[in-house]
Amino acid sequence: MKYGTVYVDDVKVGDELPPLVKGPIQQIQLTRYAGASGDFNPIHQDDEFARAAGMGGVFAHGMLSMGFVAQALTDWAGAGSVRKLGVRFAGLVRLKDTVTCKGRVLAISSKDDVHTVELEVWAENQRGEKVVTGKAAVALPSRA
Amino acid sequence: MPIQINKGVVGKEFPPYVVTVERGKIKEFARAIGDANPFHLDDRVGRASPWGDIIAPPTFTITFRDETADTGALLRELGTDISRVLHGEQEFEIFRPIRPGESYVCRSKVLDVYEKTGKSGPMAFVVRETAITDTTNEIVATMRHITVVRL
Repeated sequence: MKYGTVYVDDVKVGDELPPLVKGPIQQIQLTRYAGASGDFNPIHQDDEFARAAGMGGVFAHGMLSMGFVAQALTDWAGAGSVRKLGVRFAGLVRLKDTVTCKGRVLAISSKDDVHTVELEVWAENQRGEKVVTGKAAVALPSRA
Repeated sequence: MPIQINKGVVGKEFPPYVVTVERGKIKEFARAIGDANPFHLDDRVGRASPWGDIIAPPTFTITFRDETADTGALLRELGTDISRVLHGEQEFEIFRPIRPGESYVCRSKVLDVYEKTGKSGPMAFVVRETAITDTTNEIVATMRHITVVRL
């Protein structure tokens, strides 16, 4: 169920996040993300600029893919649950690429009634190449 | 011939700046990502939530910027331009959700600059941290940015 509540009691190490599929990426989404984020670097908008910069053409903001990964987490664990998210931008996302966000539970801990689930997270393109890799921590409620 | 950047930027603290979060900006940001979560978009759902209002998606604080402290300001300090820059890494630590109408104080500083040679040539990695506090100086979130400059 989308936007459901996940209880820490129901999570095990090794559990996988429901994959979130985004795209195919279109220029209009990059323009929209530029406006929403304030990142107007022309390398994400202007193909000629991106080629002259040696990047072989326009590519997506890394922060857009990170936003996708964050959504995969909040779709699963709920809005307001993310405590930490750290990523490396491992590859460029190009126009027409599909980005699939995935994750796996690494550890579960509880301290003072705060239940924290740590995950490895990543996003891959349609060829299975990782474009984002990282780690996250979400706070979950317990049934007790 | 690789370009030189100003490594004296390490330790530089940018002037603090205040951001007041607009309700529409939270929604615009969620929609730009394609995130239809009602806790980010629906005021009624927000009012009934534990936070009493909509909250921003986890990466929203990346929109907190000021021309005296943003990547453009960093590039001027480094002596390079935007065409050489890539986003290397990004981290958020979130202590409580960002809500509309609230004001936050952002303090950015440069923690480190190091150089490495990758498969596409020599690169400099510039590590910045931004601490985001509320108006009572309580920490709300921190961001760590690694900007890569192709030398």
